[in-house]
Amino acid sequence: MFSRKRWKEAGTAYTLLSPTLFVLLLFVIGPILFAIYLSFHKVQLLGTASFQFVGFDNFTRILDDTRAKIALWNTVKYVVIVVPTQTMLALVLAATLNAGLKGEKFFRIVYFLPTLTSSAVLTLIFMWMYNQNGLVNHVLEFLGLPTYNWLGDPSVALNAIMIMNIWSTAPFFMVIYLAALQDIPDSLYEAAELDGANAWHKFWYVTVPYLKPVTSFVVIMGLIGTFQLFDQSYIFSGGSGGPNNATLTVVLLIYQYAFKSLGTMGYAAALAFALAIVILLATWLQRKFSKEESLY
Amino acid sequence: MMNKKTWFAVGMSTMLFGSVLAGCGGEEKTAKNENKGETKEEQVEVTLAGWGGNPMEQKLLKQTLDEFEKKYPNIKVKHEVISDQYMDVIKTRLIGGEGPDVFYLDAFEAPAMIETGVLEPLDDYVTDDFDIDDFEKPLLDAFKGPDGKIYGFPKDYSTLALFYNKKMFAEAGLDVPKTWDELREAAKTLTKGTEVYGFGVAPELARLYYIAESKGGKVVTDNKASFADPKVVEALQPIVDMRLKDKSAAQPSEVGAGWGGEMFGQQKAAMVIEGNWAIPFLQETFPNTEFGTAEVPTIDGKKGTMAYTVAYVMNKDSQKKEAAWKLISFLTGKEGMKIWTSKGFALPTRKSVASELGYDKDELRAALVAGAPYATVWQNGTNLPIIMNNFNNQFVSAFLGEQPLDEALKKAQDIANKEIEAK
Repeated sequence: MFSRKRWKEAGTAYTLLSPTLFVLLLFVIGPILFAIYLSFHKVQLLGTASFQFVGFDNFTRILDDTRAKIALWNTVKYVVIVVPTQTMLALVLAATLNAGLKGEKFFRIVYFLPTLTSSAVLTLIFMWMYNQNGLVNHVLEFLGLPTYNWLGDPSVALNAIMIMNIWSTAPFFMVIYLAALQDIPDSLYEAAELDGANAWHKFWYVTVPYLKPVTSFVVIMGLIGTFQLFDQSYIFSGGSGGPNNATLTVVLLIYQYAFKSLGTMGYAAALAFALAIVILLATWLQRKFSKEESLY
Repeated sequence: MMNKKTWFAVGMSTMLFGSVLAGCGGEEKTAKNENKGETKEEQVEVTLAGWGGNPMEQKLLKQTLDEFEKKYPNIKVKHEVISDQYMDVIKTRLIGGEGPDVFYLDAFEAPAMIETGVLEPLDDYVTDDFDIDDFEKPLLDAFKGPDGKIYGFPKDYSTLALFYNKKMFAEAGLDVPKTWDELREAAKTLTKGTEVYGFGVAPELARLYYIAESKGGKVVTDNKASFADPKVVEALQPIVDMRLKDKSAAQPSEVGAGWGGEMFGQQKAAMVIEGNWAIPFLQETFPNTEFGTAEVPTIDGKKGTMAYTVAYVMNKDSQKKEAAWKLISFLTGKEGMKIWTSKGFALPTRKSVASELGYDKDELRAALVAGAPYATVWQNGTNLPIIMNNFNNQFVSAFLGEQPLDEALKKAQDIANKEIEAK
């Protein structure tokens, strides 16, 4: 079936690809396969390492794990609120920046700043502002609004993280939108104007449809990013997912099982695998709805 | 075409994994061989890992290690400070075969670590000179394995004591509470709205364990959670009532403090129950807060407090066990411990050192030392981390008034035991 020449060609290609392949196999494909292997075993790494095959036990255990359910529920709640909000905010910010106002470049920098800060530092700064006697509560009090125990009250802790995350990631997607906005040919707007469209019409009937592939990208990236929420809730709760499991996310739970408790590495791998499937499903659903055929 | 690629990928990764695993295996073997061939005159370097302390503590440890190197010129100590997530780092390093020779281990983590077999039993190294009976027995027992062997020697400890704000007490004309009922009454008097709370509570099992067991209930039974016992609920209910009914207690985060010591230092709590670590912190960070210490108030006439202790342990895979033991025996020996605890940042676990340094007569530390004989050591079997996690989660929600305490603890107990059974 394969001629000698094709074999040779393939050989040369693989030789040239080998550095990349090597890195990919070692750091991406290898670990993925190993994680799948782990998820079917009861693993004890400390001391005498032991791998005991347990079939689907790790997966059935998820169904019986109250904390896993809470973590999934928290994560889903987080995704459902954060992804649409940050996408819309990003679009609105980008549109205002693209409107040709004065000082546009200055605002572009100001809007983008939050994204540049590392999320760990950001979380610490926000925790300080969320403090019971902190900035946020002072502002709320000044405006005559109710104040909250942002860090300690289970019913608002996750919201506090949501607000912070929307604020810090929306600008990143804003930049992507901005690039796409500048791609929209002026002729489209001119044509719309001739048809008697006002600013709102132009935005809704020209800009938004034209940005559909970008929106699709932003939503998928947002989905993946939010499902993987870890560092913020980790720092917020000091690694416990508290108060009362309110900030427990799936990845935080995986971390706890993998590194905090001994001998549950296999179960952690199973949880990670389940999360991958959930993300896959969410992405697939999103693509089904938007019927987008663009490439990424 | 696709098939070929897939097979290639599978083959390649198998090869890679094979070589990685082979690499690990080889290292272990050489480690065991070298261990025997060590001679005394050779220069050896021992690694010692621990978490950081305040600058004064660092200096004291440095001083102790310098003394050690003077005494054993052929041994050099490489001190590594792991500043965050200490246990995660240590476990990962041990798994990777890169563990330090000697490291700190909290009593709370000890049973699980001993069970895995990564620690070296130290009985065979002990000589008469080392005087093992000099240690406070409950603290030493915390590092005994189920086989009766000793896996670590406690370097220091702290108990809990009642810290009270002298000025607030004088203004209110109150005496320092001796019983828990007096404490509750005092807390009511000392509370000023949401500005000052009478009592700062850390709603954690590590701090409440002795209270939880004060009415005869058990938090842990047969390595499983049993804290939904009505006797435990009854014992903990007053703490919840103080916050919800009396409005005289709060946790540090409610007033924007990180922990009890800070809350107390900022004068947002008139009383807290904290350990030895709070003394230097308060003196340095809040020199204007005048405070005193007293033994933890009694419950039903019985004294109780917690004890937290940390030991030096040896890595079983260490290649320099002789030198490592010399280090451990110096650090936990009379000489080393005396330097380490000389400034009172930590309390000595050896009775002889304690009486020599006279902390039982120290104004602030006497209450802490007095607690040692009746303290409950913060440790209970291999599943305590799981039990603690679930307790803390639900107790906070009861403490904040989201659900009744008995329901919260029942829920926490069920989840904890489910997790333990699935292990």
